[in-house]
Amino acid sequence: MNFPVELFINSMIAGLLLGGFYAAVTSGISISFGILDIVNIAHPAFIILGSYIAYILNTRFGFDPVLVSIVMLPVFYWLGAAVYQVYYLSFEQRGQEALRGLAFFFGLLFVTEVGLILVFGVDYRYVQAPYIGPSIRLAGFDLPLRMLVPFLLSLLLFAVLQLILTRSFIGRAIMAVSQDPLALRLMAADPIRIKRAAFGLSIATAALAGALLIVIQPVEPSVGREYIGRVFAICVLGGLGSLPGTLIAAMLLGVVESLTSTFYGPSWAPAVAFGLLLLTLAFRPSGILGR
Amino acid sequence: MRSPVFFVVALVVGAVVFAASRYVENEYFFFAGYVVLQFIVLATAWNILGGYCGYVNFGSAAFFALGAYATVTIHKLYPMPIPVLMLVGGVVSGIVGFATGYLTLRLRGAFFAIATLALAVVLQTLIINWDFVGGARGAYVIRPNSFPLLGSYIQYLFGMMLLLTVISVAGARAIERSRLGYGFATIRDDELAAEASGVPTLRLKLIATTISGALMGMAGAPFPYYIGYVEPGTAFGLAYAVNSIAMPMIGGTTSWIGPVIGAILLGTVQQVATVTISSAVNLLIVGILLVDFVIIAPNGIVGLVRDRRIGSTTVEPTVFVLLYVLNLLPTIFLAKQGQAAQSIGLVFWAILFFVTYARGRMIGRVWLMVFPWIGAGLSLVPVTSETPVVSTVVLWSQGVAWLAIDPPTAVLIVSLVIQVIGMIYGAALERRTPAMTTP
Amino acid sequence: MTSPLLDVEDLSKRFGGFVAVDGVSLSVKPGERLGLIGPNGSGKSTLVNCICGTLHHESGSVRFEGRALDGLPAHQRTRLGIARSFQLPRPFTSMSVMENVRIPLLYTVNARPGPKQSARAIEERCAELIQLVGLAGKARKWPRDLTQVEMRKLELARAMAAEPKLLIADEAMAGLSHSEIDDILALLMRLNERGITIILIEHIMRAVMSFSQRVVVLVSAKKIADAPPERIIQDPEVVRAYLGQ
Repeated sequence: MNFPVELFINSMIAGLLLGGFYAAVTSGISISFGILDIVNIAHPAFIILGSYIAYILNTRFGFDPVLVSIVMLPVFYWLGAAVYQVYYLSFEQRGQEALRGLAFFFGLLFVTEVGLILVFGVDYRYVQAPYIGPSIRLAGFDLPLRMLVPFLLSLLLFAVLQLILTRSFIGRAIMAVSQDPLALRLMAADPIRIKRAAFGLSIATAALAGALLIVIQPVEPSVGREYIGRVFAICVLGGLGSLPGTLIAAMLLGVVESLTSTFYGPSWAPAVAFGLLLLTLAFRPSGILGR
Repeated sequence: MRSPVFFVVALVVGAVVFAASRYVENEYFFFAGYVVLQFIVLATAWNILGGYCGYVNFGSAAFFALGAYATVTIHKLYPMPIPVLMLVGGVVSGIVGFATGYLTLRLRGAFFAIATLALAVVLQTLIINWDFVGGARGAYVIRPNSFPLLGSYIQYLFGMMLLLTVISVAGARAIERSRLGYGFATIRDDELAAEASGVPTLRLKLIATTISGALMGMAGAPFPYYIGYVEPGTAFGLAYAVNSIAMPMIGGTTSWIGPVIGAILLGTVQQVATVTISSAVNLLIVGILLVDFVIIAPNGIVGLVRDRRIGSTTVEPTVFVLLYVLNLLPTIFLAKQGQAAQSIGLVFWAILFFVTYARGRMIGRVWLMVFPWIGAGLSLVPVTSETPVVSTVVLWSQGVAWLAIDPPTAVLIVSLVIQVIGMIYGAALERRTPAMTTP
Repeated sequence: MTSPLLDVEDLSKRFGGFVAVDGVSLSVKPGERLGLIGPNGSGKSTLVNCICGTLHHESGSVRFEGRALDGLPAHQRTRLGIARSFQLPRPFTSMSVMENVRIPLLYTVNARPGPKQSARAIEERCAELIQLVGLAGKARKWPRDLTQVEMRKLELARAMAAEPKLLIADEAMAGLSHSEIDDILALLMRLNERGITIILIEHIMRAVMSFSQRVVVLVSAKKIADAPPERIIQDPEVVRAYLGQ
């Protein structure tokens, strides 16, 4: 049997690069769902919002999409903090997060998507940047910069997040809030404020993830829905709240998806993440690096 | 009323509705009515799991589409009558519902919700790749022109859906008042305490997912004959997922009447509105109403009528701002869609009045409501040269705005500016006025 | 000597690396009143959760009337005759007091083999139980309208509705006043007189010592003493690890 080695390796590389990007997309969910236990299914909507902001500023003023997203980080942080405040006051405080809180996020997801459709239509939008197009050759394999730049930035984002969570005071407080809110209160830290900061942080990552998304592929409003399954699959597979686990799981999913679309056709790729998610939930709900 | 009696009464009401509808000459009535009935079934089915047990299903579209595609499959193999198709669709979706529940319901509730989101995409991918039922291109299902005794075939479909509606509503009501219903409610309230009281929670949850899935499948089964051409995009449409959640949430989730009220209200509005406004704005309206209701009136319309009480935290500054901004969105898009659509915008102005009133009452400045009044007035004034005030405003705003805009948009922008100023001012008052305690 | 009603043997439960219950053995005779004490975090609640099936233990066994319970879900244990009240009351908030008490009758009593009770009989039994715990007149109220002590009583009434042979009262008196504690103690005593075995988990020494015929002490996941109350208060190890604090 003639196994297409070169095709396989190319596909593996593409998968790893894609996986790195998936990790960036998932990092926000990893914080909100994994650590704070808030099932923010609207997260992909914020990512798409980030993409469109990058798109507007890129086409109107020619700004670099990634640079735009870095400038937008604080805006998204405050947006996230505000959303958490609403969520806390309306649902968490009343103990209604299970049903109405979920419906709330679903509503936000939906309103954002439809709102973007109304403003921008369902056409695919893309950005211009020097690193979209060219690729570098390394050991005989093509590495498109369009994939490589997001990959490296994702790794950077991950490193920064890991540093924030393990080294800074606020980061440690965030890790503590998920384990023992009472102890935190005894240390005179307000758990609500810390959760708000954490949720803001998680939405802030969406700004960067959105810019990376529109660098990698053209975006239209409903693209976000494809990512719901992916991000939750990665988050659960990686073990809730574990950033290193998330990174591994993201790479895994990237490779599996890439191999699937190379050997079976791209139309099957969306099912991979969801299939993986269902299998994980059924057989190993604590994830590969689960506690 | 005892459940069997209720069932008979519901059946009689259904028969009367059907008989009365025979005098309607307009075929459009049946097409629109069918959709509303279909949404009553979907909302009721969703509520059996979501409202009674407290488990959110985001994959209503998947269960609906399964029913529809079961019909397409059978149609290609050996066409069968509608009631048989409904049964088959129900069985298929019921089995899938059971399997999804079995895989995820032993875990935390959120995992079930996520899995149902996932399910919709997996099934859609499978259908897209399955050429027998048309794949991504879709499949034609030729609807017979007439049906013996009834005349037109759409009347027959309408009648079948009416029957299914009666069965599912009566069924939901019977469940609610039975031992099973009490068991469901304990799961919603406190699963640990339920187990300690001898309630087999896992089994009851599986029963609920199965019944709920099966009813959704049954609602989807006649769909291919109704629409004539099925493709994955329509069958798995967003409208099903969002409506089947929004309708019970808006109507009220704890009793059988809630989803019925929600479905009739939202379903009818959407059927009427599709004539005047785009389907995207339609969906936007549903989505925003969903967010409004879960925050302002957590127990839906039924809860409003029963308690005459409205969620008390809705006037916090952040909540106020979010609701304000969200409810401005449809008024913008509706105004853009033309005069005819603006009447629906009044609903959102009304919600804005309410939100501002609640906020104003909390900080002791009820006159804040004046800002939505101005906004509503401006967006409803027809822009003509006979109204000098308005055209001056238009000219002024055209000069200020950096976009090249048409007069209606300019009025809109002015109204928005006034809105936003009012909102910011309202929120800022909070800082200067010591918060008054709510009664 | 009669055979034990509940027999826990060498039971261990761990959460990740943390051992919550470490090789605890315990046996309770029919009709006995057992006190279970220990400092916070000593594993009392975990032990109860393992007995009731809310948690599943890794090693050891739980036998009830000679029958192994290992692997049985909580609701089946309730049907076999183990009822519990929760440390923090967990009423069904969307139901009235009456309906709260009706649930175990519907799902436990009527799920056991034998003739089913009619709706009328269930109604009467509910009223009787509510009367017994002293909530008469509150049957139509919602849990949110009840006071703390009434909430505890509802918790006990609901546990009683399952017609248990063994009742585990998990800190049913925490935060109550003296007279309220006496109220609950008298109620538990009445239940015991009807032949129900009771395990009382409590911090309030006065209550445990006056109520229990035998006291078991858990300290850091291990059982350190098992004796009548008058001997417990003299046990040097118990005094050092718990009482002397």
